[in-house]
Amino acid sequence: MDASQAGLVAIGAGLAVGLAGIGAGLGEKDIGAAAVGAITEDGSLFGKGMIFTVMPETIVIFGLVIAIMALFVL
Amino acid sequence: MVVGTKARMDDAINAFYSEKVIHVIDHTTGDDGLSIGTSNTGVSKASERLLKIRTLEKELGIKKRTLTEDIAVEDVRERIEAGDVETVEKEILSVVDKRNGLTQLISELNAKKETLGLLSKLPLTLDFYSGYRSISVLVGTTTADPATLNLDAEIFAYFNGKIRQGVVAVFFRNDSRDKVSAALSEIGFTEIQVPSSDPLSPADEVVKIDAAVAQAIEDLDKAEVELLELKVKHRSFLKGTDEELAIQVEKGSVPLRLAVSKYSYIMDAWVPTSKVEEVKKHLEEKLGDDVHVEVMEERSRSMEDSEAQEPRFQKVPTKTTNGKVVSEFEYATNLVSRPKYQEIDPTVFIMIFLPIFFGIMVGDVGYAIPFIILGGYGLNKTQNKDWRSIALVLFLGGIWAALFGAFFYGEMLGMHFVGGHYEAGEWIWYHDNVAMSEITNGTAVTWDWLLGEHFPEWFCNMIGHVNPDGTHTGVGKLEDVAFLLKLSVYIGLCHLFVGHMCGLYNKKIQHGFKHAFIEKGGVVLSFFGIIFLCFGLTDFMFNKADITEGLAFYTLVIGIVLLVIGTVINAKAEGALQAILGLPEHIGQILSYTRLAAIGMSKAGMALAFNYIVFSMVMSTSVNAAGIVEFDPLAAPVMLILGIVMFCFLHLVIWTLAILSAGIHSLRLQFVELMMRFFDGGGEEFKPLKEARSKTFFKNKISNINEV
Repeated sequence: MDASQAGLVAIGAGLAVGLAGIGAGLGEKDIGAAAVGAITEDGSLFGKGMIFTVMPETIVIFGLVIAIMALFVL
Repeated sequence: MVVGTKARMDDAINAFYSEKVIHVIDHTTGDDGLSIGTSNTGVSKASERLLKIRTLEKELGIKKRTLTEDIAVEDVRERIEAGDVETVEKEILSVVDKRNGLTQLISELNAKKETLGLLSKLPLTLDFYSGYRSISVLVGTTTADPATLNLDAEIFAYFNGKIRQGVVAVFFRNDSRDKVSAALSEIGFTEIQVPSSDPLSPADEVVKIDAAVAQAIEDLDKAEVELLELKVKHRSFLKGTDEELAIQVEKGSVPLRLAVSKYSYIMDAWVPTSKVEEVKKHLEEKLGDDVHVEVMEERSRSMEDSEAQEPRFQKVPTKTTNGKVVSEFEYATNLVSRPKYQEIDPTVFIMIFLPIFFGIMVGDVGYAIPFIILGGYGLNKTQNKDWRSIALVLFLGGIWAALFGAFFYGEMLGMHFVGGHYEAGEWIWYHDNVAMSEITNGTAVTWDWLLGEHFPEWFCNMIGHVNPDGTHTGVGKLEDVAFLLKLSVYIGLCHLFVGHMCGLYNKKIQHGFKHAFIEKGGVVLSFFGIIFLCFGLTDFMFNKADITEGLAFYTLVIGIVLLVIGTVINAKAEGALQAILGLPEHIGQILSYTRLAAIGMSKAGMALAFNYIVFSMVMSTSVNAAGIVEFDPLAAPVMLILGIVMFCFLHLVIWTLAILSAGIHSLRLQFVELMMRFFDGGGEEFKPLKEARSKTFFKNKISNINEV
């Protein structure tokens, strides 16, 4: 792999993790705001709020895995 | 169900309390001709006294956590009966009143002093301001000099010049009052009361007041000391009485939860099956013919049984039977919801997996030790249930992190212990200009390089991961990425398998095996189908295995068969579309576990960068004759100190992030990946009638049990 190829792989990895992060962030933003509102009303909703808030975050992990695989494995 | 005569209701309630396993079902008025009971006669008196006691505690500053000596229940009761609450109240309140009076007096005197301070600016003694027949006086503050108003009056004024407010005394004839006060109000006049009419100058009056204030403060101090003495004298009685009266009020209110007719009461309650006979025997022994205990039913864990009941009997309270350690984790379960009667309590799984996942993600001896210390300290110090469970997670997670860090990753503070290269009977460390050493399969900065000495063989041999050349370096979080990713997926499969099996079991106890198989069996089969299918496909894609024969072929076929069967069963249960849409979810859930490796990596990446900065860039290194870079910190002592400070700070950053990321993510894997497979929640806590005593005790234990 020459330098330009390695550079493209790095850019690809960055895009994978970055775009996934933006997407998950947009998703979590609304859920998080709603969850905080709900928890303020009723503290016992913390667990449920957290579950819903972290749900989109799996997408970032996918992005991260793809990035890692692009950089180290493939 | 317990039926008894109303005449002995109080005794009965005492008996219920002593059993400690009776969870009362609140009676709701229906068309059965029974009404809700009324609280006992003594309750209003007791709650009135309780209110008094709580006021006194507040006055004396006795808080919930104030340590006091325990006191015998018998003594407390005797003293309450003897009217000691009232006597103590009188004693304390008299001192409190005295104190409040003195505080008020002091503030009044200080206000007076302030007024006199203003008046002392005018050249008059205090008796000048009053005692006239045809002349009135207005004394006060203004924002401008009244001399400019051209009033027909004698004016004494003082203006500081800098401050826009002055003191004035205006003497005028009685009949021009309206005119004068109207004119004065234009220049912002605020009247002040002259506090005394003694023929003294204000300064002399201040001296008098100062003496009075000093006396009052002395008295106040005495009153405070007196209160402190009273606090010491009465605190254990007050706390004991607080507790005893609270119990009396609670007991007295129990009839409000029961059904009563003219001569009898009826109580419906849940009792754990194993205690039923014992409770029945005890109640009959204690109350004799005045009670009739009947076991109505033994509720199965089948949902149909519960749903067939009338609403107030539908929900069975959940009594968890976890041991001492596991029950600390109930906090985590209850964050989601309380398990209901008809399902498995997931607490034990959380207790097993949460610390392990935390350990895998942290995986570093250096970070683990503070976790263990912090967790141990927390467990030792706090009694708060929430904090205890967090401390326990840190403690157990820290232990796992230390184990993984030492034996699996072979790492401390982001650096491998071993990184050297054995060559011609000598250990050599190559650390040129690269962060990642290709020769040693380890990070460039390692502990043995820092120490300049290779670790003894027995130590190295304990670390896992043997390199091709026979050296043990431990698994590199940044080097053995593919292995760690695979490992996390396999761990995920085990975890999910537990979840699916619990789901199957829950449905079995709720609705029977056939229903369980249709509802969850399809999911489980398609889960296994996906595993086999993906195994075959990855073998084909990454290892370039031949898909038409061998392992790849068989797994692929098994996978497709299981997937089809599973989807068909699922389609029957939930509809075809739902079943097909559900399939990719399995992949998502499995891949979600790659965060175990990913979070470890992210922290290792940060640690690598920080260590490289500190040891290769800040601290001094030198190149020896053979061209090998050696760690030589003493050559630049200032840089050594700077490096140590930076090292501590940067690793503190990683450590803090480790709590957040590893903690939240390991919790998430339990809540989302595991518990969503089987957990419904929505249970009601089993809250039996029992006396919550911590400050009071029974002198005679036996009298407690037989007490009726």
